[in-house]
Amino acid sequence: MKAFVKTLFGDSRNIAGVALIVIMGVALTGLGHPGWAVFAMPAAGLGVVAWLAQH
Amino acid sequence: MDWPAFLPLFLTASVEWVEAFTIILAVSLTIGWGASLGAAAAGLATLAALTALTGGALSLGLDLHAIQFVIGVFLLLFGVRWLAKAIARQAGLKPLHDEDAEFRDTQARIGNGDWFAAWLVAYKGTLLEGLEVWLVVVAFSLHSQAWVSNATAALAALLVVLLAGLAVRAPLRRVPENAIKFVVGAMIVSFGTFWTLEALAGDVWPLGDWSLLVLAVFFLAGGQALVPLVRGRPRRVAA
Repeated sequence: MKAFVKTLFGDSRNIAGVALIVIMGVALTGLGHPGWAVFAMPAAGLGVVAWLAQH
Repeated sequence: MDWPAFLPLFLTASVEWVEAFTIILAVSLTIGWGASLGAAAAGLATLAALTALTGGALSLGLDLHAIQFVIGVFLLLFGVRWLAKAIARQAGLKPLHDEDAEFRDTQARIGNGDWFAAWLVAYKGTLLEGLEVWLVVVAFSLHSQAWVSNATAALAALLVVLLAGLAVRAPLRRVPENAIKFVVGAMIVSFGTFWTLEALAGDVWPLGDWSLLVLAVFFLAGGQALVPLVRGRPRRVAA
């Protein structure tokens, strides 16, 4: 079961990183700046990838 | 056929099937080809049932944006993991995935076990590796409704790996797994980013679907740029 869950969601760092990307998209859209999210979300995604690669 | 999705699906599935085949091969040396392939078939049957059930349930009466959001987040969860691992491996922070080592580990694990334990190893290996294929097939299919095309890509990869594996009858170390994971990871993160924001904000991507190409180039180039940067830093290990 643990292996199944980990396959679906990854570890806690993976979940935290993706949560950051999604929250950024939700916040910018909610604040009325979805156009900014077009640039912010990919940048955040690459940042998360860099962070995960070091752990 | 949904050709833009075919290649990433085929490559993703190929990597996972290679890993599953390595486990099946190792188990076959203990309990024989028939039982080992039987366990793999049981794993694949479980996956097929899962795909049919999930596809049917999710296709009925759910808000498209909600589905797209969930799919986007799942692809991000999956894609950032793959891309980060590929970068860490290319930077030398993690050992390259070694099918020979996996083969030896599997043999060692089942060496002292009984027949059923060995069968379970093959079943579980096929199920868990195939689960990643299932995730991507369902995600792509719910968006494009190209269930047949996407399932064909995954099955074509299975067939190619099976034929290649049976031909060489050895761990498939010649498949450049890390390079494939790098490309597929970048593609999946691109799809995940695109669909998540589209679900949240509608048609905000400046180039429409072509933005996917720009995103893929961004993550591929960005990932390559990260390799020397990550290589220069000592790897942090959790206490």
